Amino acid sequence: MNFIDVAVKDLKRVFRSVFALIMMFGAPLLIAGLLYFAFGGLASGNGSFTLARTRVVIANLDQISPSASSFKAGDMLIKFLRNEDLTDIVELTMAPDEASARSAVDRQQADVALIIPANFTQAALTPGQNAAVLLYQDPTLTIGPGIVKDLVNHFMDGFSGAKIAAKVTNAAAQASGSGTDPSLSAWAAQQYATYLESSSHAAALHITAPSGSAEQTASGLAMIGPIMAGMMIFFVFFMGANGAESIIREHEEGTLSRLFTTPASAITILGGKFMGVFVTLVIQTTVLLAASALIFHISWGEPLSVVLATFGLIVAATGFGVMLMSFIKSTRQTGPILGGVLTLTGMLGGLITNGIPNIPAVMDKIALTMPQGWAMHTWKLTLAGSGAGAIMLPVMVLVILGALFFTVGLMLFRRRFI
Amino acid sequence: MRILDLAFKDLSQILRDWKSGLFLLVMPLLFTLFFGFVMGSASAPKPDVDPRLPVGVIDQDGGSLAMNLKTLLENSEVVRPVVLDEKDANQLNQMVEDGDLAALVIIPAGYTTQLLADQPGMLEVIVNQSQPAGQTASRALETVTGRLLGAVEAAHISKSANQQINVQDSLGKAIAAWEAPALTVSVEKATGNTTQNEQITSSSGYAQASAGMMVQFSIFGLITSAMVLVLERKSRTLQRLLSSPIQRVEVIAGHVLAMFCIVFAQQLILVFVGQFVFGVDYARQPLAILLMITVLSLWAASLGLLISAISRKEDQVITLSLVAMFIFAALGGAWFPLEVAGKTFAAIGHVMPTAWAMDGFQNILMRGLAFPSVLMPAGILLAYALAFFGLAVWRFRFE
Repeated sequence: MNFIDVAVKDLKRVFRSVFALIMMFGAPLLIAGLLYFAFGGLASGNGSFTLARTRVVIANLDQISPSASSFKAGDMLIKFLRNEDLTDIVELTMAPDEASARSAVDRQQADVALIIPANFTQAALTPGQNAAVLLYQDPTLTIGPGIVKDLVNHFMDGFSGAKIAAKVTNAAAQASGSGTDPSLSAWAAQQYATYLESSSHAAALHITAPSGSAEQTASGLAMIGPIMAGMMIFFVFFMGANGAESIIREHEEGTLSRLFTTPASAITILGGKFMGVFVTLVIQTTVLLAASALIFHISWGEPLSVVLATFGLIVAATGFGVMLMSFIKSTRQTGPILGGVLTLTGMLGGLITNGIPNIPAVMDKIALTMPQGWAMHTWKLTLAGSGAGAIMLPVMVLVILGALFFTVGLMLFRRRFI
Repeated sequence: MRILDLAFKDLSQILRDWKSGLFLLVMPLLFTLFFGFVMGSASAPKPDVDPRLPVGVIDQDGGSLAMNLKTLLENSEVVRPVVLDEKDANQLNQMVEDGDLAALVIIPAGYTTQLLADQPGMLEVIVNQSQPAGQTASRALETVTGRLLGAVEAAHISKSANQQINVQDSLGKAIAAWEAPALTVSVEKATGNTTQNEQITSSSGYAQASAGMMVQFSIFGLITSAMVLVLERKSRTLQRLLSSPIQRVEVIAGHVLAMFCIVFAQQLILVFVGQFVFGVDYARQPLAILLMITVLSLWAASLGLLISAISRKEDQVITLSLVAMFIFAALGGAWFPLEVAGKTFAAIGHVMPTAWAMDGFQNILMRGLAFPSVLMPAGILLAYALAFFGLAVWRFRFE
């Protein structure tokens, strides 16, 4: 018997277990798939990211004085929000008064209440007068109310700008000794309205992504790479430890002692077991990389970098698994120890916080105290298109850590079983 | 009485296993602490720190409009300018990529001259719009640019009315006027039934994390209790029980009661720790919270029975519990608010029982609502519990 026979026997055992197959391939793809579905193109079916419409209830309290013309700024604001370009963004309903609008938000029948004040038109037309529109929002929401606020602000900036144009024009006329002229204010405001109708503010900004590409990656697609990498690392470490558990199981079942009575040396037997774990992880990583590239369209980076990152990950995961299992006394302990230690180190290694914005900077430092953190760092670099030279340092760290863990684990196993 | 005996036997068996403590309490508390810290730190305002998003500004123009743009950025409630020297382009790209800057604005040479000559001028903006901070910064920059161009237009209009005036004077006045525009938006967050004396004190990071992990681990905690039933079936203990005077329905009821008690006790402890350690204000509506954790425990126990009815081996219990946990927790908004997910995902998510559980908890913790607000979520969760229980009883086999 050589170490290949031992490895093949362990491989057969792993690949015949439904549980192992689910933990190897099903769970990482399922979690990444759920998040891809949540934030990726599947949501809309055409590759773009579509949020649910924000339900806005409007209480239009705007009143015009009898002396004023039929112009109503409040009605204009409602008409602006009813624009067909915004029908995919907001869903409008009307409330008779402020209390009803607020109540609709409290009862979760609306996400935002837009309360247009009584002096809205007056403030829009009269110099020196101000008004504030109130947005009363569901406190659990952030994105929808933010969009509504931007839309309302954009609309009201038109009025404010027209008033500023009138004010500045009148001030200039006064400074040149022409005196105040109401018709001049009206003319300036009219000129400003004409400008607004003719100009496009969006075109005043030329927006590019940090990479320099003018194409913006859809939100879900940009985040799915690191999320999938995090899941892959977590479950590769899980399988590394799960594979090493076969030594404990065989010890309990008595087959390990029987193996040691054969002519095969202890080093051959243990070497075969570790070879089985290594090959399992190679297959797992290869399948996950290929499947995620096909399903989620992840571009993993340059081939050489991917190979190096895979090698570093597998060495570290195998070594970590061997060391972890060397501390365990029986298979009854494996589930909790495996779950507990790998969840804790995975958390601290930053595997499950990919995609969460504005994470405290200290978490990045903590992540690099864990082997999973180095693996995540390596894969982020690979995903960013870094070449082999750029990822060499983290890969080396992973290999050294893996070798270190492996040596400690091997020493403990030898002490126990040989 | 037999039901209670059976439930008590299950409970003592489950509680003797130290793994139960890990799955039921240690892991949810660890996750709550971690996600609460991460999300809370990301959203909580810090004293002495400008909460506005940093936007780098590189001024290649040096004209008056570049100065005015910086003034308008200073006055923004959303972004703050960080004036930078022109450095290596890759380094600045990296600052945006790393999130050190929400965006980078480059004011190109000749920008002021072009705009004052009534010719189109364009700002270069580098921003990662796949990140929420980048999206917010983009919108703020559109507003600020709109105001700058509006001020330029106001100056042009005043010049048209009176050729003798100085455009720069009018421009300065227009920019100053944008500090206090005539029409503004104020935002008020709904506080439901709370009064001024009873403010919502839960931090949003821990309110989401605590409730979310309670929902998630109510499912994960089923592993040990569902395992008991599978092991009894495997060892034919269930069959042997049938030879005793106990009825089939009593056997099932006893096991479900044990599952319910385990999840209910877990939820109670998590609420207690959430209240006193993480500062989540569960105590403001104790009856409503009690109702929610009762119906959540009922549903989780029904799910546990269903898992143990379907599973033939221990491995299958773990696998099904994990899959159920991932699907129900993610789709139901336990990991992140459904609001931030896509339209289809959010719509499907709201069908999940876990989404209704989250709704019930958030009505109390974040929306500041009172007891009646949890009646509908609790009712729907109860209906789910009955449906899962019916399914589990239908699929249940003693051998």
